[in-house]
Amino acid sequence: MISVSGVRKSFGAATVLNGVDLEIRQGEVVSVLGSSGSGKSTLIRCINGLEKIDAGKITVDNFDVSKPRELSEARKRSGTVFQLFNLYPHMTAVQNVALAPVEVLKVPRKQAEAEARELLKSVGLSDRADAYPSQLSGGQRQRVGICRALAMKPSYLLLDEVTSALDPEMTSEVLSILAKLAKGGTTMVFVTHEIEFARSISTRIAFLDKGTLIADLPTEEFFSDKGMALPRVAQFLSKMRKD
Amino acid sequence: MRYGDFTPFDIVLLLQGLGVSLALFVSTTLIGLVIGTAWAVIRFYRVPVLAQIVAFIAELLKNSPVLVQLFLVFFGLPAFLKINVTPTEAAVITLSGNSAAFIYVIAVSAIESVGRDQIEAARVFGLTRWQILRRVIAPQAAAFAIGPLTGLLVNQLQVTSLISVIGVMDLTKVGNILNLRTLKPFIVWTAVGALYYLTAKLVAYAGGRFEKRLRAHTAWRGL
Ligand SMILES: Nc1ncnc2c1ncn2[C@@H]1O[C@H](COP(=O)(O)OP(=O)(O)OP(=O)(O)O)[C@@H](O)[C@H]1O
Ligand SMILES: [Mg+2]
Repeated sequence: MISVSGVRKSFGAATVLNGVDLEIRQGEVVSVLGSSGSGKSTLIRCINGLEKIDAGKITVDNFDVSKPRELSEARKRSGTVFQLFNLYPHMTAVQNVALAPVEVLKVPRKQAEAEARELLKSVGLSDRADAYPSQLSGGQRQRVGICRALAMKPSYLLLDEVTSALDPEMTSEVLSILAKLAKGGTTMVFVTHEIEFARSISTRIAFLDKGTLIADLPTEEFFSDKGMALPRVAQFLSKMRKD
Repeated sequence: MRYGDFTPFDIVLLLQGLGVSLALFVSTTLIGLVIGTAWAVIRFYRVPVLAQIVAFIAELLKNSPVLVQLFLVFFGLPAFLKINVTPTEAAVITLSGNSAAFIYVIAVSAIESVGRDQIEAARVFGLTRWQILRRVIAPQAAAFAIGPLTGLLVNQLQVTSLISVIGVMDLTKVGNILNLRTLKPFIVWTAVGALYYLTAKLVAYAGGRFEKRLRAHTAWRGL
């Protein structure tokens, strides 16, 4: 379980997370929605320990990410997929995927690379496995990014707008892989602007508004009158649908 | 044969001088690489106090003439600290420090050229600082640095000629001696210059080869 409780985070004078509580249990797919600047990325970055929180507590399977000794255990349990892929440009797709298993989990290189190839095959990249990121399309890069996270066999996947740098065709390429993962029972925290997709794969929707979680509802309820009763949510959804 | 004539032995002398110059160049480059890179890593991790000290030393070394530094080491150390240094020691100390300062500058910008976002990715996947440095930063920084580094080394090779003034028997010093004996400066200095030129070309060629290798494996071509 990922547990976020009473989390506050400010950058200078700007409060970005203002007491956020959220729990993600094994098997859930939780989409985090909210307008730009509401703190979604910051929330993800606090969960994977890239940002230090000012108050509150975040644990991943009971490992406290604020404690340096526990952070590495917490990080082994969650895998992050980034908006801009963040691949290592000097490594091939296979090397990108195999790096952390070799270095962190001490898997023998041969085995790690064989597993990496299997993963890349599962996302339709078997023929691009030895290409460098600069030789891949955006959609292909993001699929490598997903494989890189999956290679660590994480209990949780954290995804921050993983398709927003992609054109529609590449987006659907990547989303179909995520849908398959969701169906397979992968636990995900999914930050996105793809409302319809979020609706189709999520078990729950969390809505952030200026650093406060103003809704945390099962998907059905969020998209029903109950969600619409919240003015900020209704406003957000109608605006997103227009775009 | 008159005293002022060239003899075949002069060629041996010149080559010996070249050997001394090369030995100094290679050893001070290696020492400079180790120290300069270490300084850059200290700076990259913002190690408190040390990072400031390193930046200060590098500033001093970069902005003062090598010749002055050489005199300071060769004459200054014995005078003030009562430490005796041989000409060779003084040359090694001075040139190593000078190379370190300039390699530091190149290494800092090379490390900074590596995208933050990949470093964050590596952190998130649990790699330690050392693993990130070795696997993610170093290969890319090396590919970035090799061009400017080759340029610097070609220059540092010429700078070694300064040490002849404190009596190290390098190529320039041998040239000086031959010149005084034969009184044929045009021939002597042309020969000496040609030897420096060829060596510099060799350094540049090696650097270019190495650069190709580093970049081919990175498939990262810059702009
Ligand atoms: N490192 C930082 N330093 C200062 N301010 C920051 C930093 N990171 C984020 N912020 C600010 O925090 C606020 C929330 O940013 P965040 O990236 O979490 O929003 P978001 O919900 O992900 O937005 P988007 O949908 O545009 O990605 C923004 O106002 C942003 O300017
Ligand atoms: Mg964001």
